Amino acid sequence: MERISEMFTDMVAHAEAVCKTRCPYRDRKDRCTAEFRCRNQRQPETAGAPLICGHDGEFDYRSAWESNPLAHARTKKKLGEIRDGATRRRAASRRKKTD
Amino acid sequence: MAVLSDITNEFIRQEIEEYLERPEEIERNIELFARVRPAMQEIAAALIEGEDGEVDRLTKQALDGGTEALEIMDDGLIAGMGIVGIKFREAMIFVPEVLACARAMKAGMKYIEPILSDSGVKPIAKVLMGTVKGDLHDIGKNLCTMMLRGSGFEVVDLGVDISDDEFIDAIEEHQPSILGMSALLTTTMPNMGKTIEALIDADVRDDVMIMVGGAPVTQEFADDMGADGYGKDALSCVSLAKSLAKSLAGERG
Repeated sequence: MERISEMFTDMVAHAEAVCKTRCPYRDRKDRCTAEFRCRNQRQPETAGAPLICGHDGEFDYRSAWESNPLAHARTKKKLGEIRDGATRRRAASRRKKTD
Repeated sequence: MAVLSDITNEFIRQEIEEYLERPEEIERNIELFARVRPAMQEIAAALIEGEDGEVDRLTKQALDGGTEALEIMDDGLIAGMGIVGIKFREAMIFVPEVLACARAMKAGMKYIEPILSDSGVKPIAKVLMGTVKGDLHDIGKNLCTMMLRGSGFEVVDLGVDISDDEFIDAIEEHQPSILGMSALLTTTMPNMGKTIEALIDADVRDDVMIMVGGAPVTQEFADDMGADGYGKDALSCVSLAKSLAKSLAGERG
């Protein structure tokens, strides 16, 4: 297992480096293997063939996945609402049980 | 000293001839594959091609034929993965191909692992992995899964777009030590928090340690949502999983 672990560690480290400039869903034939939509997807010449990746390696592709990359503050607020809502719901449930 | 023509499998000979350039790697792989049985070369070839169905069939066939599990693992699966690693390093293949080969390896290890387990080689812990509801990204999760399996964890991969109920059902069915959740969008990240709250409501939260990861996730978000750990990449995921498994084992006594 140690040999497998070492081998995979090297491969994953290389994957992390490659992924900075090449989308990890882009295969060796430049086809897109993603199940989701992305702005870089292009239609192939042959109908029914897999989508082609139009990313040219000149920019960070990851922004194409994110519909609103500046949404961290909204996400933080949403997480807070989820927790507060759950806490209130459990408190109400406990009150009902004791009543 | 072995030569290329000593390797019986034509595909393996072509792979070495076409893709290996470093003399020491060429020599090592020729020596390796010239020594191993043709059936093991076939398994390696199927793994290199990412043919998980074929690796499954050939591994079972080899075991049924009396081949030792360790021989299949070393001379078939690991040997094949070695070629995959070289091709990936040399940019002959990329992440999708590597993950296909990792799936093929898993297909073979499915038969090997129970045999290793019977001989005392137990998994470190069981990990449940999934991408949260509304999110179809899975590369990071798949790389983490690959690393965890390679490091001795048993991993149940639920896939993508996993709802709270599906996570809860899976925890009850598989009884993992660790739940790993992935999200690649800021819009789906809150579903990690929702899932954690759902686990609390279902009274299973204390049964698992939760680790989260994905491009938009940070330590701060992980703390906000009540996760036990945050993995910034696939490499740190393994050390995090080991540490969480140890914590849970310590709690359980």
